[in-house]
Amino acid sequence: MRDYFNNIYVGLRSFWKGLSLTFNHMKNKEDLVATLQYPNEKWPIPERNIGYDMSEYNVVRSRLHVDMDDCIGCLQCERACPVDCIKIDTIKPSKDSDIDCGITSHGTQKKLVVPRFTIDMTECMYCNLCVYPCPEECIYMVGGPNENKHEMDYEFSQYTRDGLIFEFATATDDEIISAGGEDYLKQRDSKKSNLKDGEELKGKEFVPEIIEKAKKTTSSASAKAAELTHKSFSDLDDKKQRGLAKKTFLLLKKKGNSDAEILEAIESELKGKDLFSDQAKELLVSLSGGGAQSSSNSTSMPELTHKSFSDLDDKKQRGLAKKTFLLLKKKGNSDTEILKAIEAELKEKDLFNDQVKELLVSLSGDSNNTRKEEENISDSAELFDMKKLNDIDDKVARGLSKKIYIKAKKDDKTSEEILVDIESSLKASDKLSGNVLDIINNIRESL
Amino acid sequence: MSFVDILINTFSAFNLNYTLMLLLAVIIPGLIIFLLMTVNAIVAVYMERKISAFMQDRLGPMEVGLFGFKGGKKFWGGIGQTIADAIKLLSKEDIIPKDADKFMMILAPFIIFIASFITFVGVPLSENFLISNFNVGVLYILAMGSVGVIGIILAGWASNNKWSLYGAMRAASQIISYEIPIGLTLLLPVIVSGGLDVHTIVNWQLENRWLIIHSPFTFIAFFIFFVSGIAETNRVPFDIPESESELVAGWMTEYSGFRWSLFFLSEYTNMLIISLVASFVFLGGWGSPLTLIDVIPNEYMYLDGPIWGFFWLLAKAIALIFVMMWFRWTFPRLRVDQLMYLCWKVFIPFSIANMLFVGIWEVLF
Repeated sequence: MRDYFNNIYVGLRSFWKGLSLTFNHMKNKEDLVATLQYPNEKWPIPERNIGYDMSEYNVVRSRLHVDMDDCIGCLQCERACPVDCIKIDTIKPSKDSDIDCGITSHGTQKKLVVPRFTIDMTECMYCNLCVYPCPEECIYMVGGPNENKHEMDYEFSQYTRDGLIFEFATATDDEIISAGGEDYLKQRDSKKSNLKDGEELKGKEFVPEIIEKAKKTTSSASAKAAELTHKSFSDLDDKKQRGLAKKTFLLLKKKGNSDAEILEAIESELKGKDLFSDQAKELLVSLSGGGAQSSSNSTSMPELTHKSFSDLDDKKQRGLAKKTFLLLKKKGNSDTEILKAIEAELKEKDLFNDQVKELLVSLSGDSNNTRKEEENISDSAELFDMKKLNDIDDKVARGLSKKIYIKAKKDDKTSEEILVDIESSLKASDKLSGNVLDIINNIRESL
Repeated sequence: MSFVDILINTFSAFNLNYTLMLLLAVIIPGLIIFLLMTVNAIVAVYMERKISAFMQDRLGPMEVGLFGFKGGKKFWGGIGQTIADAIKLLSKEDIIPKDADKFMMILAPFIIFIASFITFVGVPLSENFLISNFNVGVLYILAMGSVGVIGIILAGWASNNKWSLYGAMRAASQIISYEIPIGLTLLLPVIVSGGLDVHTIVNWQLENRWLIIHSPFTFIAFFIFFVSGIAETNRVPFDIPESESELVAGWMTEYSGFRWSLFFLSEYTNMLIISLVASFVFLGGWGSPLTLIDVIPNEYMYLDGPIWGFFWLLAKAIALIFVMMWFRWTFPRLRVDQLMYLCWKVFIPFSIANMLFVGIWEVLF
């Protein structure tokens, strides 16, 4: 009985003791709450005494940092990195541009624009090897001996993994353009948009529509050409024709020639054996339907840059043309305007010759008039197709003859003259074999 | 006067159709009870999380705000946390195990919910804000409070899970045991005030004194009632039916989503009911605690009105809910034998002795 009441008494006492303990904790929560609301509050870095002066020993491997004002874009750190986590792009400003890249704190004149300087800290292994080659001492680990340059950053946590790729480059788009980096910008933007498209596609199931879309964009020509097999010639009635065509096709296909080339070779082969009928002609035309289209597509002019004028032989001509081009391009003139201006400029300086004329005409391929003229010329001259020269087996001979052909075409020579030229020059260089002679004779006959 | 009486009187003035009137007299109080239960659960859960955090030197929920108000102050953050939790809970998948007894498993949470729902009908919130006035109010509350155990046993059995069944068995034994001290202690106010009616008990206290300070025996009875009430609601330290470290979640193990939220709702409603009953039976009901001190002259005692009554009763109930939470975050769980020892060997003998001595006390004074 005594135990019973003693039990109750002890129970009540401990009951009260426990309650007062928890209540005191709740009452004094302002002092006792230990929670630190992490992203908003952070512990200060503790003062450490580990036996040496932190500022003397570079043992702190915290985070890489680059002072972009001092970076000359020498790529030495990029090469030193064993895990390739540093990526640098540089653009050399053209001599005409008056862009000043600045001077580093060591007094070095910077010569390159750095549009990209990324360090992927997820890949970085803190080996510190990139720090030593830097001639300007602009890449370093923050904190420790570099405390005066950049404060310690021991937890660079991010909300997304991309956030750990640190971008240090400060060059703006305008600076990149003025340094002649339009192509670079275009490339970069297309890469970005590709990434974005990829992200949008992510997680989608196999959608036939997308595939169809992609097929459409890769031009119907290639779709047709892709169908070219040796069975395409099975429609030919004549046994000999069929056999020859298939044989030629398989032979050339193995060599890796393109479809258009194969078709032409077959045509010439058939003609050579006197087997070329109307049916064969029709078939070849229908098969090369795609090829013709694609060749017409390829004639659309490449983009006009200052490099387009590099073919000019005269140094003065070239310089003047490039200078005019860059000047007008900056002003935002169109290509045809620029070409006209260049023509006028050259005429004024008495530097206008046939070569320049040719080049300008070829560059202004968009204007209809010049194209028509070209067509008229080629029609009247009735030049044979250069592709016929592809049949020449010897590589050197083929290249030489093609060169002659192009040069002769520019000089408005006739087919006969070209053939004679080719023959003579090949003879001179001892490359005139039976094969070449056969081809030349073939061409002559077809004329 | 009760809330349903007021409603019927008002509708009678409008000459409403009898069936429509009856329907409205059922639906409107029902909605009010449900609203009260929901608000209580949301507020109490936030309160519990904060109190538990402070008692354990933590901060509790700090991030989720409400309408742009994120708390800001150091100890009042995360006000919207329970609302977000409630939305999350309702949008969760409702899982019923393959081998479970589907019909009973679906039925069980509703029985538990309805038990706490209909108990609320007899519980007053102020003098006139009593849903329905029984002349056996205390008995009704006592009777309806034990309906829930059927739902618990159903839930444990229907889940077809050994943890659930263990939990249900423990809950049944615990609740049935603690019904006895609750019944015996609730008899004391009845003996003293001479009526089972809510109004009789509270008015007696307002005229004389609060029952908790009436005699030493009623003082002990209050604690026996309150602790037994905690055991009835299956809260720590009497949470062996759902002891997390042993039985996962007891009879709630297989429940999820809306059905689990019904369990949750009724648990917090039971807390409120026990606190309200304790406050109107022992702590003077809707009377102001200022009447305890005879310093203020009577003409200034305007803190006793219908609205103040609501405020005082709720304040007392919330204080008791706080004490429940305080208990929860202070004491470790009792063992099964300790639980039974406390009930059968301490509470019941003391309650019976109390009854005897209160009878003598009433005769003497």
